[in-house]
Amino acid sequence: MLTAEEKEKMAATLAAPVAHADHEADRCTSEEENRAAEALEEGVQQQATGPAAAVGHNRLSKLPLTRIKALMKTDPDVSLASQESVFIIAKATELFVEMIAKDAMVYAQQGKRKTLQRKDLDNAIEAIDEFAFLEGTLD
Amino acid sequence: MAERPEDLNLPNAVITRIIKEALPDGVNVSKEARRAISQAASVFVLYATSCANNFAMKAKRKTLNAGDVLAAMEEMEFERFMEPLREALEVYKKGQKGKKEVSEQKRKDKEKKTDSENDKSREEDEEEERMEEEAEAENEVEEEEVEN
Repeated sequence: MLTAEEKEKMAATLAAPVAHADHEADRCTSEEENRAAEALEEGVQQQATGPAAAVGHNRLSKLPLTRIKALMKTDPDVSLASQESVFIIAKATELFVEMIAKDAMVYAQQGKRKTLQRKDLDNAIEAIDEFAFLEGTLD
Repeated sequence: MAERPEDLNLPNAVITRIIKEALPDGVNVSKEARRAISQAASVFVLYATSCANNFAMKAKRKTLNAGDVLAAMEEMEFERFMEPLREALEVYKKGQKGKKEVSEQKRKDKEKKTDSENDKSREEDEEEERMEEEAEAENEVEEEEVEN
């Protein structure tokens, strides 16, 4: 479980401006990785436009990998991350969003509402162990 | 080009779509709820990264790998994610392998073309190719290490 210190570190990371320049990040990744990640990101953007967009074989992750990687790199302890690890974190985040939305929905339904509200999120976070890491981190 | 944390939120449209696909039809999501979920998702990424990085550091590796992330999921009590993540990873790896083969094939085709154009310096080319292949073999080993 997260210590208070770790939570503080995360909150600081989210709040403080990022210190390391981007060229450092470039040195860490190979050009091929960047191209592949960009290709994946493009795949995602194509999906977002037009309702007729087909599900491409490359579109395994809905979330853009370059953005996920940039987030990961804000952690000063992280030096390098393999392409696969970035992908899995993106995928895990997708599963997390699904999970928290469904769990919060239970509270909306209890309140006989069809609209998910912020308080439903708060209730879910308080009630469900797996979401304990979120306590005190949201605005 | 420094990135500010505010710029590093996950795209709203994608978050909204994931939420909508998870919930039954006819359900709405307030703007505040959407914003909170998006923020929570960012926190999740940071938490998972930090956790995974601990495993990498324990193993004295500088590169975070997929195994570290899976171990992090278990540590974070998201075991339910592990099986779907493993499956997605398999599909992803196959896709990556296909891309690598395509780019390698393109490179070989390009080399063949160059060879036929330079008949006089054919011997030189052959030697160069041999040296390149050796270097490539080294690179492949490196790449595999990174991807593991």
